[in-house]
Amino acid sequence: MERAVPPTVPLGQMEVFQALQRLHMTIFSQCFSPCGKFLAAGNNYGQIAIFSLSAALSSEAKEESKKPIVTFQAHDGPVYSMVSTDRHLFSAGDGEVKAWLWAEILKKGCKELWCRQPPYRTSLEVPEINALLLVPKENSLILAGGDCQLHTMDLETGTFTRALRGHTDYIHCLALRDRNPEVLSGGEDGTVRLWDLRMAKEVQTIEVYKHEECSRPHNGRWIGCLATDSDWMVCGGGPALTLWHLRSSTPTTIFPMWAPQKHVTFYQDLILSAGQGPCVNQWQLSGELKAQVPGSSPGLLSLSLNQQPAAPECKVLTAAGNSCRVDVFTNLGYRAFSLSF
Amino acid sequence: MSSESSKKRKPKVIRSDGAPAEGKRNRSDPEQEGKYYSEEAEVDLRDPGRDYELYKYTCQELQRLMAEIQDLKSRGGKDAAVEIEDRRILSCVHFMTLKKLNRLAHIRLKKGRDQTHEAKQKVDAYHLQLQNLLYEVMHLQKEITKCLEFKSKHEEIDLVSVEEFYQEAPPDISKAEITMGDPHQQTLARLDWELEQRKRLAEQYRESLSNKEKILKEIEVKKEYLSSLQPRLNSIMQASLPVQEYLFMPFDQAHKQYETARHLPPPLYVLFVQAKALFKPHEESQDDESDSDAEEEQTTKRRRPTLGVQLDDKRKEMLKRHPLSVMLDLKCKDDSVLHLTFYYLMNLNIMTVKARVTTATELITPISAGDLLSPDSVLSCLYPGDHGKKTPNPANQYQFDKVGILTLRDYVLDLGHPYLWVQKLGGLHFPKEQPQPTVIADHSLSSSHMETTMKLLKTRVQSRLALHKQFASLEHGIVPVTSDCHYLFPAKVVSRLVKWVTIAHEDYVELHFTKDIVEAGLAGDTNLYYMALVERGTAKLQAAVVLNPGYSSIPPIFQLCLNWKGEKTNSNDDNIRAMESEVNVCYKELCGPRPGHQLLTNQLQRLCVLLDVYLETEIHDDSVEGPKEFPQEKMCLRLFRGPSRMKPFKYNHPQGFFSHR
Repeated sequence: MERAVPPTVPLGQMEVFQALQRLHMTIFSQCFSPCGKFLAAGNNYGQIAIFSLSAALSSEAKEESKKPIVTFQAHDGPVYSMVSTDRHLFSAGDGEVKAWLWAEILKKGCKELWCRQPPYRTSLEVPEINALLLVPKENSLILAGGDCQLHTMDLETGTFTRALRGHTDYIHCLALRDRNPEVLSGGEDGTVRLWDLRMAKEVQTIEVYKHEECSRPHNGRWIGCLATDSDWMVCGGGPALTLWHLRSSTPTTIFPMWAPQKHVTFYQDLILSAGQGPCVNQWQLSGELKAQVPGSSPGLLSLSLNQQPAAPECKVLTAAGNSCRVDVFTNLGYRAFSLSF
Repeated sequence: MSSESSKKRKPKVIRSDGAPAEGKRNRSDPEQEGKYYSEEAEVDLRDPGRDYELYKYTCQELQRLMAEIQDLKSRGGKDAAVEIEDRRILSCVHFMTLKKLNRLAHIRLKKGRDQTHEAKQKVDAYHLQLQNLLYEVMHLQKEITKCLEFKSKHEEIDLVSVEEFYQEAPPDISKAEITMGDPHQQTLARLDWELEQRKRLAEQYRESLSNKEKILKEIEVKKEYLSSLQPRLNSIMQASLPVQEYLFMPFDQAHKQYETARHLPPPLYVLFVQAKALFKPHEESQDDESDSDAEEEQTTKRRRPTLGVQLDDKRKEMLKRHPLSVMLDLKCKDDSVLHLTFYYLMNLNIMTVKARVTTATELITPISAGDLLSPDSVLSCLYPGDHGKKTPNPANQYQFDKVGILTLRDYVLDLGHPYLWVQKLGGLHFPKEQPQPTVIADHSLSSSHMETTMKLLKTRVQSRLALHKQFASLEHGIVPVTSDCHYLFPAKVVSRLVKWVTIAHEDYVELHFTKDIVEAGLAGDTNLYYMALVERGTAKLQAAVVLNPGYSSIPPIFQLCLNWKGEKTNSNDDNIRAMESEVNVCYKELCGPRPGHQLLTNQLQRLCVLLDVYLETEIHDDSVEGPKEFPQEKMCLRLFRGPSRMKPFKYNHPQGFFSHR
């Protein structure tokens, strides 16, 4: 099959290096601003880029609108996770969490408000922070990652209040159960554990890989993604994407997806998931695949829904992963355009 | 006529020509001496009007008589005959009257005609006289005007003005008293004076001519003397050559070179001057020569060429090189030499260069290194994008269209490459925005680029030679890592390089795992492409390599495809992507000591190390029986990290363990 070869522009050393960087870029995390008009994306080089969604979605959007308004070096290592409150953006990567003010972030040379490191046990290697979770009721931030513990940080005082131990391998993802103040965490050891925040201990453990219906040994046992909706939980990763009933700890629906999923979320009456492979998958709760919408990256690592009430016109789904692009879906049926680093 | 006939007095009756019918009536008339009957005279006496009346009356009578006769004849009777006879006689009389009247009429007519004729003749004679006289008058008038217009030659002579004349002329010529009053005399005097003056001046002229001849002869003699001096000086110079060599002052050689250099076209001259200027303090680095190429001198004449051959001739003419060229030999530290020959294409106003690399020792070229040092591609893209296949002068395109040359690419093997840096060294600048009608060689442009370009050329040659050596080793499956780069890799590397071959650009583009590089525009046709195969056990790793001509400042780009338990490329395995990133993006740490010629081999060695790590850290699938194919021998702190579960690819020296970036 003949492939069209694009014309080569004379490339000096700088251009070649930048092109190679972009080819090997991975976007690990995304986060919408509280006003809903901006999107922050963090990549594997430690950079955070802020995109203006309202400009990119407007009718006179040009090519420049799809580029970031500002890009800055946030961390030395990759930015694995980001969450946002009303005024702050928290980013975490190689062992530390930094806070940024949304109001300041668009200015050049923005500095972090503060930078904190949870108390680690080992000092040989700095463990990464893979997941951040906000607990609004307590006004605290939960961090979890390479040292197999969940750390809680009080946002007012900035101190680390709890360290929940239990996982035997590093933690991939966190989810918050609204009704009871419980946190779910999924890790490399293949378990999903529930933690009660008030009592500061583990209340339930689900060993996903031990269930034959969903385990897939050739992929491994790691749990890459978690989402919860009161009594229900959906998780995926090495094992197949499965919907669990939490109280009884039984898998109710197996979603027949061969590729390991890296991100899953509930949306209205659907479950959206993404992982290896370029598509965003939409599942019915019954286990049927409703749609598979292709994106522009060969693999996806994060999905983000902009449900900020302040900007209903920017209500989009964004997907990012193994490329320098963030796909924007205005309508779940197709990819509208891509923002790019 | 009538007067003539009336003057004739002859005894006989003479009949005049004009009245033959007269005879009948005149016979009976008596002829007297001195008297005769002339009807002509009678005509003059009779009145024509009355004759006309008579005629009318006679005709009437005749008619009446005829009518009576008719009556009588028709009535008949005896009396009639006598009456008719009477009437007949009367009618005869009337007939005779009519006849006479007729004669008279004729005579009158004739007379009138004669008179007219006479008068006409008189008029004609007068007319003729008048013409003659007029003609004569005209002639005389012409003569008069001619005489009046006559210019004597003396008026054409430029005489001195009257005042001057009186001032200068001696009194015996000017004769003032006479000439003042009489203009004729004055003019004569002036002419005299003129004549004298001219004679004098002619004499002077002849004298000066003879002077001039003499002086010319003297000049000739002196010239001959001088020209005989030249060969003597030459022989002195020849004799001094051994002395020069003895004293190490090769003025002659340099002088000769400069002599020939004077004939160089401007851009080559600029190049020559600037190169000499740059290298003066370092004589041993270069050798500069300007060469005359005899075979370029003449083009053979052809007879009646056909159109195709004519076009060919036109093309050859357009692409003609100047017979002189400049040869520059750059010597590098390891005794290899880059021979550059610079040509100038006269009609196109561009310079081209042909390059050749020679080494101190004979090079055995490995198969994959074919293109590295080939004259066609060794200098390609010295500066980014300068591939030397297109003419840098935008005006040439119109010239090419006229003779049907599509592009200079077809002729570069013959003519040399028109790189942009070559034009800059010759001081030729072709600005894209405002095309200049004529581009002149500029010394400042050349001098500003000379040093950098020479450095780049040397680096290029050395990096190519280094690659050459490395390829020889790679083809044998050994990755040559120099001792000062050993720290980058662990001591034990199990994966081996088994194959290293060149592949064509089209083949590279067709590979399924190179799509990203092609789409990013990094795989142009000026690059060199290779395929490496690394193996360990049952695992085979294919690496497609893009080698930019600007190696080693521009790193080679690797794209991987692993065949082990299925095919894994960067689109379906994050770790393969990470491995590519380790080699492509983190290349700076692999450059090794300056000038970084070890980059490619270090990258290949790292690739082997990465494959080792990948295979050894693969989690063992419990459901499958049998031991792990690759037991873990590398020291790793953690096997997986981060949301994408990366393997520990980063080697830490000197502790020797693997960690994550």
